[in-house]
Amino acid sequence: MPPKVNLEKCDGCKAEQEPLCEQICPGDLMTLNPETKKAYCRSLRDCWDCMSCVKSCPQGAIETRLPYQIGYYQAKLIPLMGTNRITWTCIDLNGKVERFSFKTRND
Amino acid sequence: MEKTQIGLYLCRCHGEIGQTIDLDRLAKAMGNKKGVSVCRIHPAWCSEAGLAVLREDVEEGRVNRVVLAACSPREKEIIFRQAAESAGLNPCLIERCNLREQCAWPHREEPEAAYRKAVNLINMSLARARQAEPLDPLVFPARKAVLVVGAGIAGLSAALDLAAAGVEVTVVEKEAFAGGKVARFYRYFPRFCPPGCGLEYLMAEIRKNPRITIYTLTEVVGLDGGPGNFQVMLRQRPRFVRTEACTACGKCAEVCPAERPQAGPLPVTKKAIYIPEGFAYPLAYALDKEVCRGENCGLCAEACPAHAIDLKAKEREFSLEAGAILWCTGWQPYDAGRLELFGYGRYANVITSLEFEHLALQCGSASGRLLRPADGSPVRRIAFIQCAGSRDVNHLPYCSQVCCTVTLKQVQYVRKLAPEAESYVFYMDLRSTGEYEEMYRRVQEEGMAIFIRGNPAAVEEDPASGCLTILAEDTLAGEPVRLENIDLVVLAIGMRPEPGPESFIENLATWEFPSGHVQCFPFETQRRGLYVAGCAQGPMDVAGTVRSAAGAAMKAMSVISGNFTLPPAVPVVDKNKCDKCKRCMEECPFGAWSWDETQYPAPDLRKCRQCGICEGGCPLGVISLRNFTIKQLTGMIEALDMEFLGRGEPTVVAFLCINDAYPAADLAGRQGLSFPPNILTIPVPCAGAVNMSVVVEALTAGADGVLVGGCPSDQCHYRKGSDLAETRLNNVRETLERMLVEPERVRLVRLQADDRHLFVMEAKRFVAALRALGPSPLKP
Repeated sequence: MPPKVNLEKCDGCKAEQEPLCEQICPGDLMTLNPETKKAYCRSLRDCWDCMSCVKSCPQGAIETRLPYQIGYYQAKLIPLMGTNRITWTCIDLNGKVERFSFKTRND
Repeated sequence: MEKTQIGLYLCRCHGEIGQTIDLDRLAKAMGNKKGVSVCRIHPAWCSEAGLAVLREDVEEGRVNRVVLAACSPREKEIIFRQAAESAGLNPCLIERCNLREQCAWPHREEPEAAYRKAVNLINMSLARARQAEPLDPLVFPARKAVLVVGAGIAGLSAALDLAAAGVEVTVVEKEAFAGGKVARFYRYFPRFCPPGCGLEYLMAEIRKNPRITIYTLTEVVGLDGGPGNFQVMLRQRPRFVRTEACTACGKCAEVCPAERPQAGPLPVTKKAIYIPEGFAYPLAYALDKEVCRGENCGLCAEACPAHAIDLKAKEREFSLEAGAILWCTGWQPYDAGRLELFGYGRYANVITSLEFEHLALQCGSASGRLLRPADGSPVRRIAFIQCAGSRDVNHLPYCSQVCCTVTLKQVQYVRKLAPEAESYVFYMDLRSTGEYEEMYRRVQEEGMAIFIRGNPAAVEEDPASGCLTILAEDTLAGEPVRLENIDLVVLAIGMRPEPGPESFIENLATWEFPSGHVQCFPFETQRRGLYVAGCAQGPMDVAGTVRSAAGAAMKAMSVISGNFTLPPAVPVVDKNKCDKCKRCMEECPFGAWSWDETQYPAPDLRKCRQCGICEGGCPLGVISLRNFTIKQLTGMIEALDMEFLGRGEPTVVAFLCINDAYPAADLAGRQGLSFPPNILTIPVPCAGAVNMSVVVEALTAGADGVLVGGCPSDQCHYRKGSDLAETRLNNVRETLERMLVEPERVRLVRLQADDRHLFVMEAKRFVAALRALGPSPLKP
């Protein structure tokens, strides 16, 4: 399910031409609303749920909903990026929480 | 690259550290860590004997990096730096580990915990030292020249001070004559000397001084470069009179047919070609193009015996280089036209305090009698209204400091020029600060004025006689006052900054006057090397202005005397990873960032204050201050044992601002206040320098909580560092909450440098809260 932008937290990367989510989206789906200067996904059904935008957002303003085959709307998958580590929190529709932490960089 | 050989030096500090922490055990445990080639214990490394050992280790090639586990990095820095330099080691390769203030002293009662904390602190320092780079200070050649903008009393006295110190000074003045507002005053307080006298003295010195050049009718139109070598673009409007030829004989003005229209309540009889009556520098006429009838008239040029008039003169632009700039553009009176209830602009006999100066100057020099501007009849009753448009949220919210004393001075003009006249002063509070209280007393004792406490509600005019009536409430007597037959009302209006600097200096202050941090950097602006002085800095009297000018001149000297040197901890961008999001440019409080020739963001190192707000804000973490890199911070976090006090005891990583929060923690240790040993501190240049990925890294590496210590909102030396940190941390907290991790694990505390008790309280409370929460769910 496509990304949802929290309009209160999104600052449109200060109304830059290409906010980070737009730069990183492999399908070129994220873009700025020219009026509100906030990001949105312009073609919801083309999103692959890769969550690159969620990881890249400096404000933590983007959330993706899981596809219904995996979990209904209470279910969540949230990444948290450290400098050398990413931690995923997976919350299923019964509220069961699992976390996975991986090293992302070895330099 | 040569092999890393870290010398680990443990200091007993004459028992201050050694009594609490078992250093022999520590040396055994840490001596064989990766990269450590030498591990020694000494009673005091800062002593001559200690330094000798240290120097020998470096000179013999046993050690090429030093970790000093001793006192706070804020202490004895020079001693170790000099020792390292004399032995040939770059001082940036000394890493200080704070075992005294933040380990031995506060944890005296718990030696075992202190020992374990010491292990962790040293591990962090070793991690940091492994990645430390040798760096040299940045040196910029500086031009020993200063541009002074504004030839008022501030600019002129600063110019003289600077020239006396051997600096080439260029003064530019927007008007045709130097002297500024002060030149048009009748007298200045407290000695009641004519301002012409002070200005004449300054000018006489300046005329003698070949190092000072004054350009009139000149404005700054462009500014580039930085401290040491600014390139300034200047535009000079034509004077139409060659100053070197003009003898100020006045024959041009005699024939000039163009008269200046009356602008204010005071009559002006000036022709288009004019020179001030009193103080005039340069002593040469100037032609006002707005009023002049143009080349076709040409009467003045014909009349001039010296052939000094050139009606074809053109505006010219030129540039010059300066090492520093003093902004002395002064003030403007508040627009009295907005004070409708006092009738300014409608009634000819309502004037501002500045206009009263001109009136007194005219009357004083002409007839010696005080005459009404409207009809020239003598003034018998005069009323002064204080705080006209000041201390009022609808007008100027602040007090301009000088208006009360100005009125006390002007009341004395009345006594001198119209001894029979009665003066009334309406005031809210009379603020005659410092020695000016003496003037207040004198005015009261000699009965020069009747003081009525109350802000008038209205001023009305009798159209026939031109006399004014003031309606007010005497708030001391509690009764309405109606004062009739007033000949002249003087509004004591406040001061505003002269507009103009906005395009060159963004205002750092909390009000319209562009001054820096009011106590720490009062002369500084957003641009390093550009200093404000005089009333450009804030409302002040003449004495204050001269003081301010001397201070700003000293600031300029610090930039231009010799080479301009900066510490080497500048930000560096990893261009391979930067994706040009421009957040660094947006968030930098000093506007230091711009695109370089390869279209990547690059800081102007001379503007940069090395606060690290760019490092903290970079979403990709690709900006790092040198020797305070994100990689080093990550390495420090990875080196931590996150369960060093045993299971169930929380571990807190604390990033403390070196300006305020870190000294507060040091002070707590120094005064023997004990705080929980769970807190492992990392000094940071500003709370805003903490990148959120580092905070997350600490949490996911197993820390139970992260504490960021910054300054109170309005005290941040870098304007908004702690506020930015708060916004960023709130975003992290929100994400944590969604992940079902308690957001309380991340916390910002705002501390002042002496808030040791607050620090201890916050630390205890935070650790207790974490203990109650249990281990972090993010712990690996």
